[in-house]
Amino acid sequence: MSSASIVEDRGLRAWWSRSQRKVMPYVFISPFYILFIVFSVGPLVYALYLSLHRWPGSGPMRHVGLGNYTYLAGDPVFLKSLWNTVYYAIGAFLFILPLALVLALLINSTLIRLKSLFRIGFFLPILTSTVAATLIFLMIFNNQFGLINQGLALLGIPALKWLDEELVKISVLAVATWRYTGINVLYFLTGLQSIPPDLYEAAQVDGAGTWAQFRYVTIPQLRPIALFVGVVTMIGSFQLFAEPLLLANGGPNDASLTLANYLYRMGFTHAKLGYGSSIGWVLALIIFGLSFIQLYLFGAFRKED
Amino acid sequence: MDNTLTRRAQRTIAYGFLFFILISMATPFVWMISNTFKEQYEIFQLRPTLIPEEPHLRNYVRLFAEFEFHKHFLNSVFIAVVHTASHLFLASLAGFAFAKYTFPLKNFLFLILLGSMMVPLYTIFIPLFVLVIRLGLVDSYAGVIIPGVAGAFGIFFMKQSMEAVPDELLDSARIDGASEFRIYWQIALPLVRPALAVLAVLAFMGSWNDFVWPLVVLRSRELQTLPVVMAGMMGMYKMEHGVVMAASLLSTLPILLLFLALQKQFLAGLTVGAVKS
Repeated sequence: MSSASIVEDRGLRAWWSRSQRKVMPYVFISPFYILFIVFSVGPLVYALYLSLHRWPGSGPMRHVGLGNYTYLAGDPVFLKSLWNTVYYAIGAFLFILPLALVLALLINSTLIRLKSLFRIGFFLPILTSTVAATLIFLMIFNNQFGLINQGLALLGIPALKWLDEELVKISVLAVATWRYTGINVLYFLTGLQSIPPDLYEAAQVDGAGTWAQFRYVTIPQLRPIALFVGVVTMIGSFQLFAEPLLLANGGPNDASLTLANYLYRMGFTHAKLGYGSSIGWVLALIIFGLSFIQLYLFGAFRKED
Repeated sequence: MDNTLTRRAQRTIAYGFLFFILISMATPFVWMISNTFKEQYEIFQLRPTLIPEEPHLRNYVRLFAEFEFHKHFLNSVFIAVVHTASHLFLASLAGFAFAKYTFPLKNFLFLILLGSMMVPLYTIFIPLFVLVIRLGLVDSYAGVIIPGVAGAFGIFFMKQSMEAVPDELLDSARIDGASEFRIYWQIALPLVRPALAVLAVLAFMGSWNDFVWPLVVLRSRELQTLPVVMAGMMGMYKMEHGVVMAASLLSTLPILLLFLALQKQFLAGLTVGAVKS
């Protein structure tokens, strides 16, 4: 009996020493996949299920088919939040990214010293929490005593209402510019510094001027990093949440409300969990679709790259 | 001659623009710090003062006495430390597996990992909250920490640096009879310490500054983190600007110090993922 168990034990040990190299990698990666399935895939599927129902968070659910989605198409507040979100995304692409690229090009150029002062200085704002950042900007934009209006008053210019309907989206973009420009400067700088110098030398030998070098060497070589920055910026701006919420509570008159803000309002303030989830799936489809388009435009699916 | 002149002009314009942006970006910080030492009326007055007229520390005293800043600070520290430690462990372990083993379905699983980064947080926000309630984790630190602990980015990031660990080291440990976990823990992990430091800063910062998820999960005031409490201070009937600015400053300070201490490794390491992808 005892000798048999020793033999068995030896067999098990031998099997283990042979197989642990095959088994352990799965053990090592399994926590991620378990957590991913429980806390991402499950909720993603459940959100789709919820979006086909009407549910106040307790009691029975009522199946409404695509009712929530057809209702969304005619919901003026939803359409407004969709437009605001697109506005922020366009603002990020037309303003934050070009600014970051120009700053990166300047820091990278031979004209400039103090490179790390600028690199670190531009990066610092992202270390603040969105809450702290928005609190600071709330004071800067204040209609009566805000720093900007005080500055305008010194120049004799009448105060502007930065948090009113007409200007609030600009103010949200200003906070976003303050926080997110620096990280994009870093990304672009990394891209610029990874361009092999002999490409520029070859271009100079061929008689290319500064502009031609920029057009035919810098821009094509920046393509991979531009794709990365583009996708990250798009995903981030479509999920803008805290800045408009804290700066203006999505208002006034929903003028700064984003999709994420409206989803939160429906799901948590109005307890319309089904309707809120349908907003979430529209958001997901937009993000998946735009990511795919960006990857396609940048040729990420082409084999030879 | 003409060339050097235009070059000098170019340089002046470049410096002018860079300093203009740098000062614009620094102004909110300076304004914040200055206001923490001011009385409300001085913040409100028409001509802004850079140096407070009658500097005092009353805003800081009130922050601790009335708003129990220290308690919420410790809540934030606890959550951020537990999150960071567990995230580093899980990310480095999985990164090690993806970098140093070949196993069936590896590429497929890695593709899923990359795809998981595209799942929008707000799409799963409502169901995730329902799930946390069902699991009985609402109003607990576990409910804040567990759902976000296994980030795909961390695994991707650790895989990059684990690939540099020499295979010969791992094989010789195997010949000596070390278990696979021990090889990870005692050989691979110490070699990737710089990458761990970068990931630690990122994870700590993400958790420390996180606002929306702790806002919905933590109901009791005693458990709440700094961003949640600070957002609450803003919604109050009479907002005390000096106190709020003091809270903003003190809540930013730990991250700022951590970053300035590690900025060299941090800035170099941060962009590793961006370049390789």
